[in-house]
Amino acid sequence: MNIHPAAWIAWATCAGIVAFSTTNPFYLALVIAIAWFVYAACHVPGPTARSFRVFLIAGLAAMAIRTALVFFGTVDANNVAFAAMEGMRLATILVVFGTFNAVTDPFGVVRMAPRRFHEPALAAALALSIAPRTIASAQRVREAQTLRGLRTTGLRSLPALAIPILETGMEDAVTLAESMDARGHGHGTRSRYRPQPWNRRSILCTGAALTAAVAFSAAAFTGVAGLHPSTFPLLWPEVSAGLLAAAGLLAVPGLSRSRGAP
Amino acid sequence: MSDPALRFDHVTFTYPEGARPALADVDLQIAEGAFVLAVGPTGAGKSSFLRSTNGLVPQFTGGRFRGRVHVAGRDTTEHPPRALADVVAFVPQDASASFVLDRVEDELAYGMENLGVAPAHMRRRVEEMLDLLDIEPLRTRSVRTLSGGEQQRVAIAAALTAGPRILVLDEPTSQLDPQGAEDVIAALQRLVHDHGATVLVAEHRLDRVAGAVDVALGFDRGSVRMGDPAEVIRRLAIGPPVARLGRLVGWDPVPLTVRDARALARTLPMRIVAHASAAGETRISVRGLSAEHDGVPALRRIDLRIGGGEIVALMGRNGAGKTTLLRSIVGVHRPSAGDVLVDGRAPQPGVDVGLCPQEPESILFADTVADEVRSTLQARELPDDPDTILIELGIDDLASRHPRDLSAGQRLLVAAAAIAAARAPVLLLDEPTRGIDPDAKERLTRFLRSHAADGGVAVFATHDVELAAAVATRVVMLAGGEVIADGDPATVLGDSRVFAPQMTRVFGPGWLTPEQVAEAMA
Amino acid sequence: MTIRTASRLQTVVLVIANILGVLAFAWPFVLPYATGASRDRFDAPLILIGLLVCIGTLLFVELGRGGMGPKTVALIGVLGAAMVALRLPGFVAGFSAMFIVVLVAGNAFGPTFGFLLGAVGTFASGLFIGGLGPWLPFQMVAVGWVGMGAGLLPKRSWGVRIGTLAAYGFVTGYLFGMVMNLWEWPFFTSGSAFAWDPAGGAATNLNHYLAFYMTTSFVWDTFRAIGNLILVVVLGRPLLGALDRAARRMRLELTTV
Repeated sequence: MNIHPAAWIAWATCAGIVAFSTTNPFYLALVIAIAWFVYAACHVPGPTARSFRVFLIAGLAAMAIRTALVFFGTVDANNVAFAAMEGMRLATILVVFGTFNAVTDPFGVVRMAPRRFHEPALAAALALSIAPRTIASAQRVREAQTLRGLRTTGLRSLPALAIPILETGMEDAVTLAESMDARGHGHGTRSRYRPQPWNRRSILCTGAALTAAVAFSAAAFTGVAGLHPSTFPLLWPEVSAGLLAAAGLLAVPGLSRSRGAP
Repeated sequence: MSDPALRFDHVTFTYPEGARPALADVDLQIAEGAFVLAVGPTGAGKSSFLRSTNGLVPQFTGGRFRGRVHVAGRDTTEHPPRALADVVAFVPQDASASFVLDRVEDELAYGMENLGVAPAHMRRRVEEMLDLLDIEPLRTRSVRTLSGGEQQRVAIAAALTAGPRILVLDEPTSQLDPQGAEDVIAALQRLVHDHGATVLVAEHRLDRVAGAVDVALGFDRGSVRMGDPAEVIRRLAIGPPVARLGRLVGWDPVPLTVRDARALARTLPMRIVAHASAAGETRISVRGLSAEHDGVPALRRIDLRIGGGEIVALMGRNGAGKTTLLRSIVGVHRPSAGDVLVDGRAPQPGVDVGLCPQEPESILFADTVADEVRSTLQARELPDDPDTILIELGIDDLASRHPRDLSAGQRLLVAAAAIAAARAPVLLLDEPTRGIDPDAKERLTRFLRSHAADGGVAVFATHDVELAAAVATRVVMLAGGEVIADGDPATVLGDSRVFAPQMTRVFGPGWLTPEQVAEAMA
Repeated sequence: MTIRTASRLQTVVLVIANILGVLAFAWPFVLPYATGASRDRFDAPLILIGLLVCIGTLLFVELGRGGMGPKTVALIGVLGAAMVALRLPGFVAGFSAMFIVVLVAGNAFGPTFGFLLGAVGTFASGLFIGGLGPWLPFQMVAVGWVGMGAGLLPKRSWGVRIGTLAAYGFVTGYLFGMVMNLWEWPFFTSGSAFAWDPAGGAATNLNHYLAFYMTTSFVWDTFRAIGNLILVVVLGRPLLGALDRAARRMRLELTTV
């Protein structure tokens, strides 16, 4: 049973909210670990899988930069700890997005756009599917122009490279627009060929993620201690079992995998 | 008496920036279930006519439109194209540029989604179309990974799922190899004969389709003559080689298929003995050449010697290695073994060898045709005289036109001029006649002959059997990266079942062109 | 056949949406805040996100009603593909060749198209490189604005057109960077000398922000500004020529604001 792309968006948003609401390194570390687990369990094989690593590295970099910024002001243990925790929060958000990118198929995200957004979503899908052709076309143009003896490096060469690509692209756009028009684009209310079902797994994951987000939001609203550990003075952070359990709910997508199914 | 599928009432149409009408007082009716062919030179109005059937003309293109077009009873000026999607399907020439989604299945469903068809019904129609066009094994494939013929069939299926009974296609086989073209024409025949569809096709490549249609529309400068295909083709002085032969020897009606021609060929001329054309000194020497493409072996130990004055046709299925061989000869593809020598040394790309790429528009970037040639001349530090090469290719009258405003055939000639202006003694062309009209093909042929006559070498990769038969002095066949045949056209093409020209099929090996046969018959 | 012109309502909606957008970016300077410990840091980003969700919905709902039409969708698809393809090559510091596409297309086809292309192209290129990050909505709107502004520039003569577009490209090279930084700033700097001070007024915060900006993003953005300028000067005329021809041939009937 696959998880509906909207459910993944809900999961990423809720995990983001959980991370936003706290700077407690224990909660954040748990969320990071869960994001890693969900990635490992659910990632779609293919090029998007490497985005997790990219976001992980970006997260570490953000944390490092954030901590380094302290050195522009007074440096003491409190400030450094404070900065490190803020940095860790940023890193957590980025890692969550890394997981989201690795588990969703870009076309799926676009295809499930609500009807109002159909045209912009379609344009985005088109951009994605035409891009490889544009890149291949650029390589061909470059080679062909080299064979003519034209320069292909430096600024002067740009018109000879860019114009054929653009002109051909424009002609393709006309063909595409004609084809879409002739096939009824914009006619009226659309239907969906394979509506992605909201299956049990998607509902379960969404529910769990929402619960986690609500728990942390409520905790933040009522000012529960431990969400923002004190750094002035520097004290060991408190953790509550309840919030740990709530954060743990974010692992449901990874736990609900049936054997063998992606 | 049922309504006609298409009715044109005194239609005159001029494009927004057009000087003269693209369609001039077109008045005709097409009955349901007819298989119709639109023929005529480029610019005569075929394209505008096709687009008038579904409202793209005038609603998409703009312009001045007089008269009325009724398709399945609906007036195209009162219904936008999207409102006609359920009665008429339109398939453009370049199928790959018309795809909207990624998977074949989804592409087929797109039209129905637009019209709000219920999911259960959609699934049924998709299955029907997959079977009808024989593309069921492709259903989960990405459209970008399909071959040309497969893409064309998917485009046809996608246009038909919404249920239209009228199918309009703009040069569907122009960019396909022979097998792909066969498959598409066969699919169209099935649609007409088994399912009662009305099919309207515009084509330049008439060898296969001319014999399959019931009615032809002959276009000439905007006006249309409707009639029997043989008659229309004879009158327009175009057509497959058997038709050209028919005109030359005065057969009436001209045959449109090899079968018709065989019936008419009573006298069998004497067998011509094939003789190897005397080639000049070796200019291209390919020794033990092996090359890879995307990590897969594309060429295996090719040995080839080509002399001055030769015009070589390189033929073979898609993926046989033709493009890789051309690129190796020009010097941009590094071999994994063996070497290529041009005039005794490693070729300097663009200087010793010129290559006109498969998509000629990928090199056009100037504002005028003359400027296009000039940029090559300047880059090679040659005298600023674009007209010479333009005259050689017969396009000097286009010198001040914008290259992108020209037809596919004219663009090919402009690209060839831009490449040949560098005066490299060896000229390579990758599928030059793809999608071009007979007139441009004629000019290209003449140019190749004069280039060879001056001692140069021309090598072109092609699927166009008739081109090879008409102009090549030698044919090299590739399969799986190896040379499987190499010799004079009469022998090599005469031997092949798939690549035999029509004259060979009618009269036997050794006969290549209608002119040749007509001369022997006189 | 009629040419569609922007309805009064569409213009109003577009203006309101963009004011809200500016607010969303500028909230650190503008929204007064009572000092309070943990609640601040939690509410503020939610307001930001909320504002952006409103803008996004408003804009797309408005578009959904009018409809983009097959020509616009196809053009955005093709030009968006160019943006995707150009995202990475030539990438030096802040410079990205994808901006030239938005600049010329916005200039040729109008501000509404420019905004749409900027937003959709950025979204697609984010999907392509597998990087849907939390910055994406901001980036979409920011690139959209670059495209929109390009459509409002004068076109009196080629000299004026290229000149103003080049200057615009240069300026937006910096503006884009400044605006993208705004959302990072409060999270990155609280507790340090550049910190956002909820109790301080707009002036103090502006000072702090500029100092933050200069040390981090300025060099990065200079590459972008100069890169845009050069590309417009070298490629502007031929690209615009090609786009103008395409617009004529397709008889584009886009709503123009």
